[in-house]
Amino acid sequence: MSGDETSHARDASPAISDADEDARNLLRVRDLSTRFFTEEGQVNAVESVDFDVRDGEVFGIVGESGSGKSVTALSIGDLVESPGRVTSGEVWYRNADLAEEIDDPEAVDGDFVDVRQVPENVRRSLRGPSFSMIFQDPMSSLNPSLTVGEQIAEAVEVQRRARANPRSTRSRTQGYGLADMLASTVLPSRSYVSEESRERAIELLEQVGIPDPADRADEYPHQFSGGMLQRAMIAQALAGEPDLLIADEPTTALDVTIQAQILDLLRDLQDETGMSIVMITHNLGVIARMCDRVGVMYAGEIVERGQLADVFDDPVHPYTQGLLGSIPDLDEPASRLQPIEGNVPDLYDHEMGDRCYFADRCPYAMEECLSHPPEFDTETGKPVDPKTDPGEHGARCVLANHEFRPEDALPEEYFAVESEDSSGSDREAAETEEVNTDD
Amino acid sequence: MISELLSKLFGGVWETVRGGVSPRTARNLRKEFRNSLLAKLGVVLVVAAILVAAFAPVLAPHDPTTQNLDGSSLPPLGFSKETTQTSSEMVNGSIEVVNETVYVEADPNHPLGTDSLGRDMLSRAIYGARTSLMVGFLGTAIAALVGVTVGLAAGYYGGRVDDALMRSADVMLAFPSLVLAVALVGLFGKVSIPVPDPLVALGVESGMPDSFVLPGTVILVVGLVNWVWFARVARGEALSIQSEEYVKAARSVGASDGFIIRKHVLPNSVTPILVLATIQIAAIILLESSLSFLGFSGTTLSWGFDIAQGRDYLATSWWISTIPGIAIVLTVIGINLVGDWLRDALDPGIEGEGGGP
Amino acid sequence: MSMGRFLLRRLLQGVFVIWGVVTVVFLLRFVTPGDPITFIAPLDAPPEVRQNIARELGLNKPLYVQYGEYLFNLVQGDMGYSYINSTPARQRIFNRLPATLELAVAASIVAVVISIPLGVISATRRHEPADYAATTFSLVGISTPNFWLGIMLVLVLAVGLGLFPTSRRAIGFLPAIEMLLTDLDPGGLVTWLWHITLPAITLGTYFTALITRLTRSGMLDELGKTYVRASRAKGLPETLVRYKHVLRNTLIPVITVLGLQLGTLIGGAVITEAVFNWPGLGTLVINAINDRDWVLIQGSLVVIGAGFVIVNIAVDAMYAYINPQVRSE
Ligand code: SF4
Repeated sequence: MSGDETSHARDASPAISDADEDARNLLRVRDLSTRFFTEEGQVNAVESVDFDVRDGEVFGIVGESGSGKSVTALSIGDLVESPGRVTSGEVWYRNADLAEEIDDPEAVDGDFVDVRQVPENVRRSLRGPSFSMIFQDPMSSLNPSLTVGEQIAEAVEVQRRARANPRSTRSRTQGYGLADMLASTVLPSRSYVSEESRERAIELLEQVGIPDPADRADEYPHQFSGGMLQRAMIAQALAGEPDLLIADEPTTALDVTIQAQILDLLRDLQDETGMSIVMITHNLGVIARMCDRVGVMYAGEIVERGQLADVFDDPVHPYTQGLLGSIPDLDEPASRLQPIEGNVPDLYDHEMGDRCYFADRCPYAMEECLSHPPEFDTETGKPVDPKTDPGEHGARCVLANHEFRPEDALPEEYFAVESEDSSGSDREAAETEEVNTDD
Repeated sequence: MISELLSKLFGGVWETVRGGVSPRTARNLRKEFRNSLLAKLGVVLVVAAILVAAFAPVLAPHDPTTQNLDGSSLPPLGFSKETTQTSSEMVNGSIEVVNETVYVEADPNHPLGTDSLGRDMLSRAIYGARTSLMVGFLGTAIAALVGVTVGLAAGYYGGRVDDALMRSADVMLAFPSLVLAVALVGLFGKVSIPVPDPLVALGVESGMPDSFVLPGTVILVVGLVNWVWFARVARGEALSIQSEEYVKAARSVGASDGFIIRKHVLPNSVTPILVLATIQIAAIILLESSLSFLGFSGTTLSWGFDIAQGRDYLATSWWISTIPGIAIVLTVIGINLVGDWLRDALDPGIEGEGGGP
Repeated sequence: MSMGRFLLRRLLQGVFVIWGVVTVVFLLRFVTPGDPITFIAPLDAPPEVRQNIARELGLNKPLYVQYGEYLFNLVQGDMGYSYINSTPARQRIFNRLPATLELAVAASIVAVVISIPLGVISATRRHEPADYAATTFSLVGISTPNFWLGIMLVLVLAVGLGLFPTSRRAIGFLPAIEMLLTDLDPGGLVTWLWHITLPAITLGTYFTALITRLTRSGMLDELGKTYVRASRAKGLPETLVRYKHVLRNTLIPVITVLGLQLGTLIGGAVITEAVFNWPGLGTLVINAINDRDWVLIQGSLVVIGAGFVIVNIAVDAMYAYINPQVRSE
């Protein structure tokens, strides 16, 4: 990111956004872009995304497979792996203590710290006590060869050790060298985890509603059911007492009845701890049930955002309308995304072009959609800059600015040729992409 | 019954292999090949080895078996050999022994030098490719034939059949393949099968041996020693496939076992077996060279045999052992690279390079 | 299933397999062409002499009697007497065994100590020079016949540079240790090391290469799993993720393959012994086969087969220890 943009954001935000509003924000994500550098080309999985997460709220990100929502989650948690990389953007996180400690004035704005600009060891030290994450498939999210209790206790222990020296990652293994780690694979007595942490792990298991926590702690993941395992994952994520829990499709792999239990559990835990949650899902029922505000993602961008009621009752973007089209009753938990004709684009940089990314699937595509539309406030119809003034309800679509003009509509076969060329050769890549990022 | 099963199973090996390679697999193969320099290198090495073996009579400058004691132990081009020549002459009525250091220069007729009997190293290396590849491919074919049959039967029928076959496989595994091969070749004797060389028979090249020797016992033995690996893989595939719905459905409408195995089980096993076969060719080539090295072979035209010959001349003629060894390493690297390519492209279950068989 | 029951079951299976090994070895003599007596008796011996020899060796009894006697004697540790020089087979085999064991153990240690770190480095620094070096090494390593490697080592390091002896074991490990302990003389151990270095490298290279490959690919596999991401997300330092979590799981398939490849190690020892004139079981077997000394052939094959089975049970126990899913299923 250029220094230019940084200073712009820093200067601009206090001036324009309401001081109250800022105080309510836990996280301000600005201009976040994540790219995958594959052999077939550069994939723009997340494209200049901006959003805020407020204190104690559940912010939902909804979209189809391959829309970039999971990569967004990983990008916030700094967990993107090669060949992917967060290429630009700022993740401002409100933490007064941390802000004190950081010397770099570029990276601090009042109580906010841009975690993308702090040194790597500091950024890593935020994993656990600041950000925590749960994943889609609980079975593969726990190490199959360690007991569940041990893994949760590890998460406790690492914070316990870190508290002695909060901003150094080294302290997390103080007095526990490579030799001990190697020995611990064979000798249980050389374990990294202390007795206190084990006990805390059992408490956590109890807190997430696992019966007989002391016994279950000594069992291995394959002895747990999916729902119980997801509870254990949540316990593990809570071990560091995070400010923000990122839940990436936390219920997708579970039975419907269990899904509801897990969602209720998350709600209860949020009430208890006051943490904020970013809920990534393709399940509109989950969004409707859990979220306060929601962002709809398409092709790596947030195309519509706002209060849950605004977006769900009065969707402006044709994509959101399409998603919601099939849902008469929002409380029905099993409702999935309405299949919209066509596919999410492969997000290859060289194929993205400058038009509205949804244009080839959009029934209202017009001349002016061929140049990338900005975000509009749905109330005023004026373009807004989500970096500085997120507004209440915004959509990245010209329809938010003016009505559909049939006379400007693009002919139906406008995209036919183009989509044909790009579909065949790269479907494979799209398949892998799906596996990587979504279900 | 067995022969019937065999003919049913392997009558259409090629069709089965083709049927087992879906368009998606083929696409993966191409993609992986495009992206991998190593895969290309492997294919180049393997194709080169096959061409060298096939056209040995055309490519070899000399008959690999012709001895020439006057031109023995000549160094390869670019090297010279230092030896001491002892001569005696009459000086003033007494015999004086003169030790004189002479340098033997390379002979351009023998670019890779000659061995201790004056045979051309290059020609021997070229002909050695034949033995290695013949044993590698035929031995693997035998191993695959036996192993896949046993493995499919064990996995498909399960129960007692499975127990009996797999326990005997355990017993097989308890004998290291080299030890077993040495014992079998040593005890059954070396059978050499002379096969007429088509190129020479057609008169393309004369002055070359008109037949080459297939080490019959070795081929049979390396095949029989390695079937267990195929049996394990085939059994695993059969086990996992036979519980699939479509196999159950086929059975419920009265399809015969042979039909189900041929139509459903075998095609699904093709990919892992193909990958395994590639690795096995490399392993069997190494095994053959070891047998030849130890003197348990039916032919003297073999890289392993030459390496053993050169051992006694290490101090004076290093190339006799070195050159055939390099030939083995290049061939086996090529096959292993092809194996890696197939594995990476075909077998998503085993990410990256897995281990040996 | 508890660990104890798991081991008990494996042991019973092992006994069964050893019995199978013994039976196969016993039958080998009857399915191979050639009468053993031809190799023992003088070429021009009259039939009576041959019959006498056969009677003496018990070769004229019915097959099942011979089999029964063989099993009976074997259980008591009696492997019979060499046809060639009438020494007890057991004594000759067990005299040779230490040399082979030393070689195999030294090679395994070299292999494990080098390969696992190499594989880890290779996997964690993917596409860096260290990774390319390690993958090249392992590719060449699994493609090189070990006898040729041994000869090349001798050529360069022993004949060329004179750093190592060309062949032969000069002193056993135990006598060397004894020398160190009683006479406080480390000379024996130094000599032992000096002699075993090249054979151990020769035998160990293939395994080093193989385990490096396995560790690398296994680790890459594991590193891509969600639990690794989850471990990072919960704040575990990278070293802990790598060694406590990933390496342990990487070793599970590595151990399996090692168990399967044990035969290759023993086969490799046979040929390494041939290269270095190492006085072990391998050279004994080859000589026995050349001489058709059946008692010795059977004895050594049984020892090799049984050794394989026993080490494999140990490997399985290790596997079960490290992999909880096996234990509990
Ligand atoms: S900008 Fe145009 S093409 Fe894009 S969604 Fe809106 S109307 Fe459709």
